Amino acid sequence: MSYDVLRAISAEHVDALASGATLLGSGGGGDVALGALLLRRMLEREGAEPVPVIASDELPVDALVVHAGVGGAPDVLAERLVDPDDCARAVEAVVAQTGGRLAAVGVIEIGGLNALMGVIAAARLGVPVIDGDLMGRAFPRLDQATLTVAGHPIAPMALVGPLGDTVLVTRSSAAAAQALMVSSAAAFGGAATLAMFPTTAGTLVEHGVRRSLSVCVGLGRAFLAVDADAPATVAAEQIGGRLLCEGRVDQVRPREGRVPGSITLIDRHTGGVVRVDHLEEYLAVTIDGRTVVSAPEVIVALDHRARCPIRTDEVRLGQSLALATLPALHDWPSEVAAAVGPAGFGLRVEEPA
Amino acid sequence: MLRLGIDVGGTNTDAVLIDGQLVLAATKAPTTSDVTTGIVTAIGRLREEAGFDPADVAAVMIGTTHFINALVEGSRLAPTAAIRFGLPATSALPPLVDWPAALSKTIGGHSYLCHGGHEYDGSRIADLDEQEFRDVLDKAVQGGARSFAISSVFSPVNAEFELRAAEIIAEQLPGAPVSLSHEIGRMGLLGRENATIINAALRELAENVTTGLTETVLGAGIQAPVFLSQNDGTLMDVDHARRYPVATFASGPTNSMRGAAFLSEQSSCAVVDIGGTTTDVGILQNGFPREASTDVAVAGIQTNFRMPDVLSVGIGGGSHVGSGPIPEVGPQSVGYRLTQQALVFGGDQLTATDLAVAAGRADIGDAARVAHLDPAVVRAALDGVAGRIAEVVDRMRLSAEPIPVVAVGGGSILVPEQLDGASVVVRPEHYAVANAIGAAIAEVGGEVDRVFSVEPGRRDAVLDEARQEAVDRTVAAGARPGSVRVVDIEEVPLAYLPGNATRIRVKAVGELSLGGNDA
Repeated sequence: MSYDVLRAISAEHVDALASGATLLGSGGGGDVALGALLLRRMLEREGAEPVPVIASDELPVDALVVHAGVGGAPDVLAERLVDPDDCARAVEAVVAQTGGRLAAVGVIEIGGLNALMGVIAAARLGVPVIDGDLMGRAFPRLDQATLTVAGHPIAPMALVGPLGDTVLVTRSSAAAAQALMVSSAAAFGGAATLAMFPTTAGTLVEHGVRRSLSVCVGLGRAFLAVDADAPATVAAEQIGGRLLCEGRVDQVRPREGRVPGSITLIDRHTGGVVRVDHLEEYLAVTIDGRTVVSAPEVIVALDHRARCPIRTDEVRLGQSLALATLPALHDWPSEVAAAVGPAGFGLRVEEPA
Repeated sequence: MLRLGIDVGGTNTDAVLIDGQLVLAATKAPTTSDVTTGIVTAIGRLREEAGFDPADVAAVMIGTTHFINALVEGSRLAPTAAIRFGLPATSALPPLVDWPAALSKTIGGHSYLCHGGHEYDGSRIADLDEQEFRDVLDKAVQGGARSFAISSVFSPVNAEFELRAAEIIAEQLPGAPVSLSHEIGRMGLLGRENATIINAALRELAENVTTGLTETVLGAGIQAPVFLSQNDGTLMDVDHARRYPVATFASGPTNSMRGAAFLSEQSSCAVVDIGGTTTDVGILQNGFPREASTDVAVAGIQTNFRMPDVLSVGIGGGSHVGSGPIPEVGPQSVGYRLTQQALVFGGDQLTATDLAVAAGRADIGDAARVAHLDPAVVRAALDGVAGRIAEVVDRMRLSAEPIPVVAVGGGSILVPEQLDGASVVVRPEHYAVANAIGAAIAEVGGEVDRVFSVEPGRRDAVLDEARQEAVDRTVAAGARPGSVRVVDIEEVPLAYLPGNATRIRVKAVGELSLGGNDA
């Protein structure tokens, strides 16, 4: 599907942005509602300017872009909330380290809460936000970003806690950056605002996921326009997706640590057995022993009522779900399947014997 | 042991008298604006009908939509101060931030932030600054606030600041109503806080209503304790209701489903409630409605209450019937004008009710007025209706196994005797007073919803600990020890947190302990 190019984000875009981000979250990426509240409040404030949206190729090739977001436990964010000032502080800490003038803020992942956090950081800092991101959906790890895959450094990276405590990582491998992010977030009570991937606009033209903010808002608009009574096939089509199955949740196996959990559904129409593997996000759908969709493609679970997207932590036994898939926003090179595909989560793609 | 169940709805006040599993009498009276007159009338009619001795009534259970209506209408709300402990965190979204402007203004718009709050592990974000809190309190009182809603970050894990705030208010403003978020809502600050503010705003009304209810029941010569129905289908005593009016919000649909299930002697079933315009389908598991997994907004305010999971479809007794060989039924409906506009009632609109009469399923109005309808078309239309109802039931039920379907409501004649996916279709008597029956049969409940640290190999021990806590709370809420059982357990590992933090929610219920006569 092609969507209009977004030039600026104002209060009227917040619902569509949040809705699109929820869909691209592939069942994870945290609670978008928190980001929507924050952003709406910032943009509705008297005298607030819309946040300009700019494509990476519209900036000088050497223009500095820093990526901003939050990391940590959604349940902690739901209690302690997020402060846009902390986001801005994290970006400023990275800029102070790299030197130069910040031209724009980038979105780390377009799926879930972080789609909005990038826009919020840009709004607070008074700079444009890049029409793009680094994942094309939501992923749990920093090695699953396009820039990491392209060999680009994550650091300098800054993490800011709710009391203003700041951790600045000046140099780091991808693995260490991930471990430092997790342990710093833990030290800050389970969540932190982050800034990372300082880069140039030119690098993003080459290695970023492009136009994903425009796609996100367009997708959200299309989804919000779907009639609540529309059959799931129609709902899936209207968002440019494909319906995989409709069925009832027969079994819920929670994840254990980093080992993915799964949900089993029975297809209402065919009686087929459908397994959905998930960690924080839905990762793969396997029907009757054959994997039909897997990450980095986006998997959406829609509740039978109001057709609202259901996160992995909201799935309940006996619930009726419609599963659909959206095409990946990024054309990942095949050699990185080990990072962003099922294998990156310790899953095996199944083919019938 | 006699129980009196009363449902105060927007239009009617229903009353039933129950002895064990037996419905002795049921009646309806118009609801009055003062609530109590309608109840007095209903109890009076019940006495005429059943001739019971008020001294034999062991308990009075009341379900009411009075409080949720007050919020929706934005009337009779107390000026309320919303005070949160969370600084330096949470300042970007202060209390009342997501309320509709008009409703926030109605309760005075008093929103304050103080230092404090906790982390998920119970450690402090910041210490409580008592002077800061006392200053806020002064400001709120000067601003006209009479009721106080206190929230604190992660108070379900550690409630010390909310409790200390309550002590300070009790000391400075003796008797002022205080609502504490950890006693009202679940994890999730804004939803819990909103529920607490709503509760605080309803406290003055609750004082009046509960006092009125107690006096009314006493006035009818009934000395028995009075209970109110809660959202989850369990009971709270009248003193608890005075302090937690918000807990009555979803009691209407819950009581209706539980009442219907009780009447049909089913504890796990689908309840299909067909009114004039819509069909609402809910699921009961172990006698309790399955809850929706997403949060609900009440009067435009996001709360984290769980409401019964109900799926609606636009089919009712008054649904318009289209033309053609397989006519569409609904979603347009003549609604409450059914008795004027349907063919069988002398009107000129072909409705779903006319189809049921033409097919001989019901004897309502003048059947001669639908005798001209083509039987094949009638059958095709009714089959279509049955198919759609069956589809909704199918979407809602828990497994592929057929389940009992309990059909209630004025339009339940549209449910055929054989429904796809139904093991049996039951049409209980007295369903018109299902709400009051749901109230009368209610039990006492207790719940735990908290973050536990589940060390490897200790999952069972931690679950047992949570179970025990839920059972203890149920007994503390007035259940007879020994009758308490766990009805729901939910376990969600928290993402990205060390120490295997897991959110565990356990719900238990037990029979109401009524002194020595309930053995």
